[in-house]
Amino acid sequence: MIQGIISVCCAAIRVHAQIQSRNLTVCVRDEWRKRRNVIFDNERERQKADVGRIEKISVKYIKPSGEEEVNMMMNKDLSTPTDCALHDSEFAMKTGALSLVDGIPWDMHKPLSNDCKLEVLTMQMIKKSSSLNFAFWRTCSLILGATIDSSFKDDIILYLHSFTWPNVRSGSFLCDAIIDVNNWKPTEAELRALSAQFVKFTRQSLPVERLVVKEEIALDMYQENPFKSQQIPNIAKSQEGNVTLYRIGEHIDISRGPMVGHTGIVGKATITAVHKLESEEENRYRFQGIALPSGVFLNHFAYGILEERARQLNKTTWMPQKQFEDTDESANTVVAQIAQN
Amino acid sequence: MNQAKIANLVCQLRYNVLPKPRKLKNVKGPEGRSIKLQKTLTKLLKYERIELNLNRADETRGYVEQLISQAIRNGCQNKTVMELANFWILEKQLIYKLFNVFVPRYKSYCTSFTRIYNCPRDYPGSYRKKVVLELKGNPYPSIYTHSSDGNLLQNVLLSEAKKQYHIKHYEKFI
Repeated sequence: MIQGIISVCCAAIRVHAQIQSRNLTVCVRDEWRKRRNVIFDNERERQKADVGRIEKISVKYIKPSGEEEVNMMMNKDLSTPTDCALHDSEFAMKTGALSLVDGIPWDMHKPLSNDCKLEVLTMQMIKKSSSLNFAFWRTCSLILGATIDSSFKDDIILYLHSFTWPNVRSGSFLCDAIIDVNNWKPTEAELRALSAQFVKFTRQSLPVERLVVKEEIALDMYQENPFKSQQIPNIAKSQEGNVTLYRIGEHIDISRGPMVGHTGIVGKATITAVHKLESEEENRYRFQGIALPSGVFLNHFAYGILEERARQLNKTTWMPQKQFEDTDESANTVVAQIAQN
Repeated sequence: MNQAKIANLVCQLRYNVLPKPRKLKNVKGPEGRSIKLQKTLTKLLKYERIELNLNRADETRGYVEQLISQAIRNGCQNKTVMELANFWILEKQLIYKLFNVFVPRYKSYCTSFTRIYNCPRDYPGSYRKKVVLELKGNPYPSIYTHSSDGNLLQNVLLSEAKKQYHIKHYEKFI
């Protein structure tokens, strides 16, 4: 039935896209992007409607300062930590990167489902949860994907491949893409242009929306992308037939999450290098970058050292057989495995 | 040759006093100097954290350390200590504070009892260096707000860069 609703809603767009892909490739990527957004919106509306009668839950909200505790009555399966932060202060809303629900890392835009204790964390509160850095790095990869997707002209065939588990210790976040250009080596100016595009995304403070969908819907969304279509069944298997999607602006990607609240959390950022990978797929490029949370002032020399390090090829690989938790120990195992390889 | 070591006889401070005393130049001469020190010392015991010029703060610091350590060593029964306290402390109620609050607080300390922080200077303003002088263990929130948490993102990145640099550096020698 879900499929039915969606197919009715997007039939027009799909037909349009198909005709265009047959005739000429201009604007096809844009059409697919629009189509994905329509499906995303419809599915979200449907899930909202599925909640039915609104029930209230009581949320014990702990302010970022950590002193006061407030009791809030929120809507079950509708209200998110962001809504709670909106009741609190502008500061909590703007700087809230991640929340802890009964001690478990929780997206700022993931609806609350039970009575709980909620704590909104800023990027400085790393002592409370080590997931903050991983969420930040993951979000950077997502924004990098959006940057790549929006930076290339439409006549270049481009498929986003994936980004790996966030390994902060490797010194750079990354995103892989298949680009139909042979032996592309970006110039300084091109990298700078990519960085500028990245910063455009961060300056807009776009909310990072989250949606869990069924496998079929995800497959429908990414049917044009052969690599994602291959990955989705694997991902769905490990998540009981569901796929978690994240959206910033118009860009939608698959990730396990959690991610930070909005793109404004990312401050200083640079896209440092693009490497061609030796892999089964032809023309697979790895985009690498480095970013710091907004409000962190690092002098240009130290930042230069970090940039220099982020230029080296990041050899982190995606390992589907293992589901890593966001801890430092798993980071060490990944590093060890890379060293062995 | 059986002379006892002088260092063991004298009450040793955990603070290095300058070899030459500062003159703290003023119209009254040496008397004015001790009046200045009395005033600062009294205020320090009273407020536990004060902001002033570096010269005067550092000079007073030696006197405060000496007074508290004498009080801890000899207790309130000792005549010399009482005379000392009576001379240096202008507001007499603070003598009680010295023996009832500071002595118990600093009894188990193995560091100095005072601390100095550098302050930013007003611009434009006097050239003199400003500092904050405080007694340790005071009830105020800490002045030092820098978090030295190694798990902050920038710290993780920098420490990994450092590790990599060292590895590269050692590879040259192997």
